[in-house]
Amino acid sequence: MPFVKSFNIKRRDFVRAGEASINIQNILKSLNMDPKLIRRIAICGYEGEMNVVMHGGDGVLKLEIDTGKIVLDISDNGDGIEDIELAMQKGYSTATEEHREMGFGAGMGLPNMKANSDVLRIKSEKSNGAHVHMEFYVY
Amino acid sequence: MTISADPSQSSPYITFDTALCTGCGKCIKACPTKAIRLYNDNPTCLTNNCIRCGECLRVCPAGAISITTYELEALRKDKVSIALVSPVLYSQFKGVMPNDILMAIKKIGFHNAMDPSSYIEMFLYAVEEYIAKNRITGLSPWPLISPVCPVVMSLIAYQFPNLLPHLMPIMRPVFLLAKETRERISWEYKINKDAIILYHLTPCPAKLVPIRSSFAREISLVDRTMGIKDVYAQISVQLNQMKKNGIEASMDGPEPPKISGNCLRWGTAGGEIAGIDSDKTLAVSGLRETITYLEKIEMGLFKDIEYIEFRICPEGCVGGALNAVDKYMAKNTILKMLKKFGPERNMPLDKVLPRYENIWALSDMTPDELQRIFGVYKEHISIEQLQEIEKILKQIQGKDCSICGAPDCRTFAEDVVTGKAKLHDCVMLRKRETDKVLENK
Repeated sequence: MPFVKSFNIKRRDFVRAGEASINIQNILKSLNMDPKLIRRIAICGYEGEMNVVMHGGDGVLKLEIDTGKIVLDISDNGDGIEDIELAMQKGYSTATEEHREMGFGAGMGLPNMKANSDVLRIKSEKSNGAHVHMEFYVY
Repeated sequence: MTISADPSQSSPYITFDTALCTGCGKCIKACPTKAIRLYNDNPTCLTNNCIRCGECLRVCPAGAISITTYELEALRKDKVSIALVSPVLYSQFKGVMPNDILMAIKKIGFHNAMDPSSYIEMFLYAVEEYIAKNRITGLSPWPLISPVCPVVMSLIAYQFPNLLPHLMPIMRPVFLLAKETRERISWEYKINKDAIILYHLTPCPAKLVPIRSSFAREISLVDRTMGIKDVYAQISVQLNQMKKNGIEASMDGPEPPKISGNCLRWGTAGGEIAGIDSDKTLAVSGLRETITYLEKIEMGLFKDIEYIEFRICPEGCVGGALNAVDKYMAKNTILKMLKKFGPERNMPLDKVLPRYENIWALSDMTPDELQRIFGVYKEHISIEQLQEIEKILKQIQGKDCSICGAPDCRTFAEDVVTGKAKLHDCVMLRKRETDKVLENK
């Protein structure tokens, strides 16, 4: 039976953003997972969390630990992604001026997630939320 | 005191005076690595989880916690005793020039007192060299992390092993100082190296510990460590006497050491990066902030920063637990002295490079070795145990009250699953049981 735990993410909550990823990191560390794998998952978790905080509505980050793989499932009810292909390009960003002032919006979120995960699936429609599914293989 | 399974790995750092301990539980909550338990009113420290930050010492209102230290022993006459001075020592005596302090140290019985100025400058050169090299080779990941604070090193080894490759692989100045001093004194005095005892006068409680055996390679360079507050009174007496007699250090010896501004500000937060020629640096001090920043680095942030100085103590080493004067007073003393000594380096690069190329400035430790060296490790659990822990957490619905003796509910649940605690110890659970019984009456 896989281990499942969900974390709530709130829109525009920049202060608490990243907390779910830190929690996930600590859980994986206690399980003695490979540090490199933990790091990849942490980076993906953080990028996903930031996406929800900046563009999403309220969202949920679900962690699933199974033998052989770890799954991060992030869904929200926010703006959605208009053109997924475009969003996957390095440097493309829809971040607002405010986000950029805070140091975000480099347009590296989804590319980073793609580079660090083994499987990345995105389902989204404009103004209808986004669902990002990531898998990491455990060898 | 809990003794670790493998005593060669680590030795107890703190001891509890159970007569003084009130069982208030402040230390359990304060410990960043959750190493303290108070089950059955019996305080214990899990040595393998202890990173020697000294936070428990700071928060204990009863003074029941003390560090395991070596007693200050009488300086032995048959050996040559040399004091290796921490830059922070200069901040402890307001309005006194560093060279006078060095002289006073000699007067209390040391054969010589060594100033670390040139070694700190060498360290800064070495750091700059490594950063410049790393810009080309990309051998280490950005940001590089300062190796100066021993607690930060332990913290990384314990909680952030991912970040071990970020550690700047350069020996700390005091060890460079120790190594060269021993060689020089033995050559100058024509005596055996064993006849020299090097004392490190330091504000840092983490350096005071009976040495963890495998840490020996670096630490064995220093023979004894003494807290600054342990020698403070004796030095003060000598300084007063010198003032009365009108002696000034400049009269003593052919050439007093040149104290560098880089050395003076070393003890304050930001003092290390202030001397490094790179704009992409950060200085972070304080335990909580350090942990927050390490977490952020682990999530891939701060890649545009080249070098981060971390200090566990607030305000840097002037905030060390073994200082004699308050950290803000000490900081003020340093800032005022800096005006006199200036930020320039005394040592020219061409004097450093030949010694630096002899590799002794670079330590050859790999991250794996480092983790072993610090002797801290986490116990690991299985997925089944993790599920069990979540179940217990749901069952107790606690408020992290710590009444059971664990720092929080999660740690308590972990202890239950690994057999260190009994579920029955949870007061929340017991309260709900009693409530139920009372309702049914």
